[in-house]
Amino acid sequence: MDKMVYCNDVMARMEELFFHELSDCAGWKTEFIGVDFIQAKNIKGDNREDIIRNCIKAITAAGLAEEGSFAIAGKDILLRLKIKGCIHMGKEVRLKERGIKIYNCVIANMINDQLIEKLNYETAYIGAIDADEKEDLCEIKVAIYETMEKIGCVSDWSEECQRIDANDEWQTIRA
Amino acid sequence: MADILDVITSRKSIRRFKPDPVSDEMIDKILEAARWAPTGENYQPWRFIVVKSQETRNKIGDLAKVGSGSRMTAWYCMGHMQERFAAIEDPEKRARVLRFMYSGEVSEFAKTAPVVIAVLGSLEVGSVDVPYDLSAAVENMLLEAHSLGLGGCWVHGPVASSRDAVKFKKILNIPTEMNAFKVIAYVAIGWALEKRKYPRPKLPLEELVFWEEFGKTTRPKKSLDELVYYEQYGEKEKD
Repeated sequence: MDKMVYCNDVMARMEELFFHELSDCAGWKTEFIGVDFIQAKNIKGDNREDIIRNCIKAITAAGLAEEGSFAIAGKDILLRLKIKGCIHMGKEVRLKERGIKIYNCVIANMINDQLIEKLNYETAYIGAIDADEKEDLCEIKVAIYETMEKIGCVSDWSEECQRIDANDEWQTIRA
Repeated sequence: MADILDVITSRKSIRRFKPDPVSDEMIDKILEAARWAPTGENYQPWRFIVVKSQETRNKIGDLAKVGSGSRMTAWYCMGHMQERFAAIEDPEKRARVLRFMYSGEVSEFAKTAPVVIAVLGSLEVGSVDVPYDLSAAVENMLLEAHSLGLGGCWVHGPVASSRDAVKFKKILNIPTEMNAFKVIAYVAIGWALEKRKYPRPKLPLEELVFWEEFGKTTRPKKSLDELVYYEQYGEKEKD
């Protein structure tokens, strides 16, 4: 048996049980999953773009994903991520098969952790994760808050996403 | 003995408080009520930290504001909050309520509650189902506070995410190791400034209760054979 299939099956079972215990709160409890990897990589950067770019470089260089793209919009709150070829896609597929909304993106956890640890961001929250098995692509919408004052800065993310796509505001990093 | 159901059904969550202090005797009674909550195998994992310090309550209030606000801002941006509050017909009122929610102000009231009691549970070897025991203790606290004429609110927001839970522990000098203590909530207590309508809408029992097995919504009726006697009490045989 492929070792990654085995690991993803184990993770999927863990997340299924965790969801059963906590329902939609489960995702609030898993934000440290994956941070050990990224904290060992000594990510450097003076601004959020550098930090995100260097996180994705480290992630793709290690073979955890093939490619990562990001865009920031919505009054600097919306961090939109696209992760292609993630090794955890198998876990997400298992959860979808069991009717459980995907709630734990290890890659986004890593990036959020470094924004908080390296740039002293106030907090971050993963709002939505969508996994497309056929395209081998995940899209994640994260709310990132540089300061406490950023809490409550709202915008329409569907409009923001349309604009990002229309203007091709994506930055893409490959291994 | 008074019917406890009167206390239960007249309680409501209070988030606005007068600055008047709460006496130590009242706090002791609330803690005593918590101590008598049901607990698996009488393990009694609960520990309580009573906080009156304004400085500490400000820190907790800020943490709660960030916790709730960070989530609700994202939910608003994705349209979820608007759906949740669509029942408010007045657009100005709806906007005001939504802003109150996504700004995080909805959870900031530890700053104005005279007393905040953090509820945490020991995770030492042998502990079982700690959050359930702690939840029972919180309910007892709220009911006792209400029966004393006080208002209170159960707040999970500042410890809802793992990272915020660590921050909360640091504010109160609780060991941060994941195998030591779990914080599930704090309870804000004080004299109510607000008079909220009650009862808030509750689902009727018909929507909540099944009989004998999941999905059966009709209360079983006794058969006529069990209810009817013939000619005299106790006579079950029909001539």
